[in-house]
Amino acid sequence: MSRDATQPESVPLPMLEMRGINKRYGAIRANDGIDLSVAAGRIVGLLGENGSGKSTLMKMLFGMVKPDAGTIRFKGEILSDHTPREAIRAGIGMIHQHFMLVDAMTVVENVMLGWSRAGAWLRREQVAEQIRQTSRTYGLELNPGALVGDLPFGHRQRVEIVKALLRGAELLILDEPTSNLSPPEISGLLVVMQRIANQGRAIIFITHKLGEVFDICDEVVVLRDGRVVGRSLIANATRSGLANMMVGREVGSGLTRIDRAAGPDVLVVRDLGLRDASGHERLHDINLSLREGEILAVAGVDGNGQTDLVDVLAGLKFPTTGTITLNGKNLTRTTVSNRLAAGLAYIPVDRGTRGLVPGMTIEENLGLRDFNRPPLRRGVWLDHGSFRKQAKANMSEFGILASSPDTPVQTLSGGNQQKVVVAREIGRKPKVLIACQATWGLDPGATRFVIDQVIALRNRGGAVFYISSELDEVLMLGDRIGVMSNGRLLGVVPRTEVDITQIGLMMAGSGSELSTLR
Amino acid sequence: MSTSLPKEREVDRSDHIDQPGTLTGSVLPTALDRSADFWRRMALGGLAVSLSFVVAAIPIIVSGKNPLLAYWALVRGACGSVDSIAFALNKSTPYILAGVGVALCFRARVINIGAEGQIAVGGIAASWIVLSATALPGELLIPLALLGGACAGGGWAAIAAVMRLARGVHEVLGTLLLNFVGLLLVSEVLHGPMGEVGAGFPQSPLFPEQAWLPPLIPGTDLHIGIILAVLAVFVFHLVFWHTPFGFRLRLLGSTDAAAAYAGVSIVRSLFSVMLIAGALAGVAGAVEVLGVHYRLIQGFSVGFGFNAVAIALLASLNPIAVLPAGLFFGFLETGALAMQREIGVPSSLVFVIQGLTMVFVLCALGISLRRQRI
Repeated sequence: MSRDATQPESVPLPMLEMRGINKRYGAIRANDGIDLSVAAGRIVGLLGENGSGKSTLMKMLFGMVKPDAGTIRFKGEILSDHTPREAIRAGIGMIHQHFMLVDAMTVVENVMLGWSRAGAWLRREQVAEQIRQTSRTYGLELNPGALVGDLPFGHRQRVEIVKALLRGAELLILDEPTSNLSPPEISGLLVVMQRIANQGRAIIFITHKLGEVFDICDEVVVLRDGRVVGRSLIANATRSGLANMMVGREVGSGLTRIDRAAGPDVLVVRDLGLRDASGHERLHDINLSLREGEILAVAGVDGNGQTDLVDVLAGLKFPTTGTITLNGKNLTRTTVSNRLAAGLAYIPVDRGTRGLVPGMTIEENLGLRDFNRPPLRRGVWLDHGSFRKQAKANMSEFGILASSPDTPVQTLSGGNQQKVVVAREIGRKPKVLIACQATWGLDPGATRFVIDQVIALRNRGGAVFYISSELDEVLMLGDRIGVMSNGRLLGVVPRTEVDITQIGLMMAGSGSELSTLR
Repeated sequence: MSTSLPKEREVDRSDHIDQPGTLTGSVLPTALDRSADFWRRMALGGLAVSLSFVVAAIPIIVSGKNPLLAYWALVRGACGSVDSIAFALNKSTPYILAGVGVALCFRARVINIGAEGQIAVGGIAASWIVLSATALPGELLIPLALLGGACAGGGWAAIAAVMRLARGVHEVLGTLLLNFVGLLLVSEVLHGPMGEVGAGFPQSPLFPEQAWLPPLIPGTDLHIGIILAVLAVFVFHLVFWHTPFGFRLRLLGSTDAAAAYAGVSIVRSLFSVMLIAGALAGVAGAVEVLGVHYRLIQGFSVGFGFNAVAIALLASLNPIAVLPAGLFFGFLETGALAMQREIGVPSSLVFVIQGLTMVFVLCALGISLRRQRI
């Protein structure tokens, strides 16, 4: 694999050439004259914040969206007005961020699904053999007979990759493939990607994580506001250069974390356990105490009980065993409204279906959790004036960009939607804030905003329980840091005593080293 | 929510590019005011009604009749005289009452299609009260009978609600099956304890005159039921948009997860909205027996409950829009008979028009319903 910048003639003829791609949505230019070429055997990073137009570009390549102008040439043939099906036939494979798999089917069945070459008659064994072969070639380690629903996230992704490879994909588009993986899984994926490229296939790797770009890509293209703002061979690129191109401004680095001794315990959790309806233990013996003016940040790969834990703390589920007390008051089995009244705020992982009601307006969403208390409630009526007043105050304090408080939340960008959630939960000046993946799917600018708000709350004396699968974030935020693995909270240590290797191991499920970490 | 003026059309410059689902929002006015939205929907509804009449003209032409004459007869039959208007308003009354309840339920994603049965048992309860307390004066008897109807209808709905909450039986199934039970219960009591002895038809004895709903306009058949219906529409419009209870229903209408997060008790809200819808349907049944038939007769309410569902949908689940939608159904059905009598176009053509209107309205509002239903 050549990474030599000085000899452009050594770069093989491009497999994909996109020229002058334009796409407008209303007044917004999603793509404005984008050129992109990808050669066989190369891994091209497509870097950009949310909304920079990278997904739109890839959707046009894959035939999900029609470009307004521009040409797409793939392996010498023009692709225009094509459907995803035709794109696949031409040799393009796309691994979406949200997998298109059927949980109740096995790996083989998922691979056969919608695949004409699998034939009209189901030949499971034959396809299984193909899967095993591909699996070996690329180091995917897939069991064709496994039920997809039982597979961890990283393996489901591999099923998608096998699906694309078996359908003859010569160009793979990976849409933020690392966002839900643990560090070991990420390195595994990078190895797989390298092998795929070594076989002469090409990869477009969509991401906003700089480190991975440097780890794996041969070249990188940076998008901002629908335009290409930079392209370079990786050998010639620098981290700070790419970061600045991506956000179009200097990324500030100094956090406003002030040194602050933690106060007395606020939230105390003892021996918490949760068993779900089918009898599975989701949480085991969780013990934690959260102190005034501190952030307890917890790392962990999705699906290790994080959502269960925050739901239990927030009162959306009741624990099977154990107690939760806030300032000495037992909250274990109280309702959500009582917890709210006690000063417990909660930023849930899913703003689309839980944290927000997309069809309601900004002001209604800001009042979502307090509509039944004064001042939003006056007697038997809702006080629309108070809704409006609160919304205006929150919108200016938290910088929510919208034309008016009665804009429906679903028309806002992801970052602005999260600002609404943050404004509501932090704006109510809670004693304890529970936050789960609060920056999920946000671009660096919005991520930064959320993190600053959380730190500001902690600086004011709030206690924060912060769960994230982004290790960087956990390390940056936490006064104390722990890991969730298999429904257990492991190795909570002060930030000065953190050992990244141990955290990585615990995240990957080898928690036996726990004893060495007290 | 309906007070301020429509806002300037504005395009939100914050980016939506990674979220194709929201793109339409950036092109359409983002600050769409609810009252502007309401009038836009009414206009769309009007357009849908017109279109359905145009399309329904085709079968009339095929049968060799003049659609314009047929529609003229329909209009005259519906509002050509004070009597016909009174008749149409009476016909609309139960539709509106039950329709409001159905609209509230559907808004909260509670698919209550049990108005049919709730109306039936409401009618039975009101009849039973009137026939057993004949000594009471009208001022007492009528409210008592209406209340009885409300309780019976509410109770009937509560059965389905309990089945849903306690045993997980989906309310579509529960309410649908209880409809048949409710309708059969009418026959049962008429062939048994409440039947008129010696009558050739399954009906109860005539109610005492003081139990008849008083006329709204003396000299016509129009009874005070329509006042109740209009009152219900306005009260529940206020409840839905301007009280915490209405806010809860709207939250319930989004997702259970969001409702729980906002501290809404799903059990309590689901139960209350079913109870309200059942009570309204029960009152509809009571009004029908007390104001139109003055007795309980078999099949007095057949089809009302399903019409109520259609009306709620036609009103795009907006409580206040149930009023015009219900009136539309009532007047249409009243005019149908005249059309059949005078032009020879079968009155069942009206069902075609109702169906077409539904189709057109749902098509016209489909997109906006998806976008702004909450």
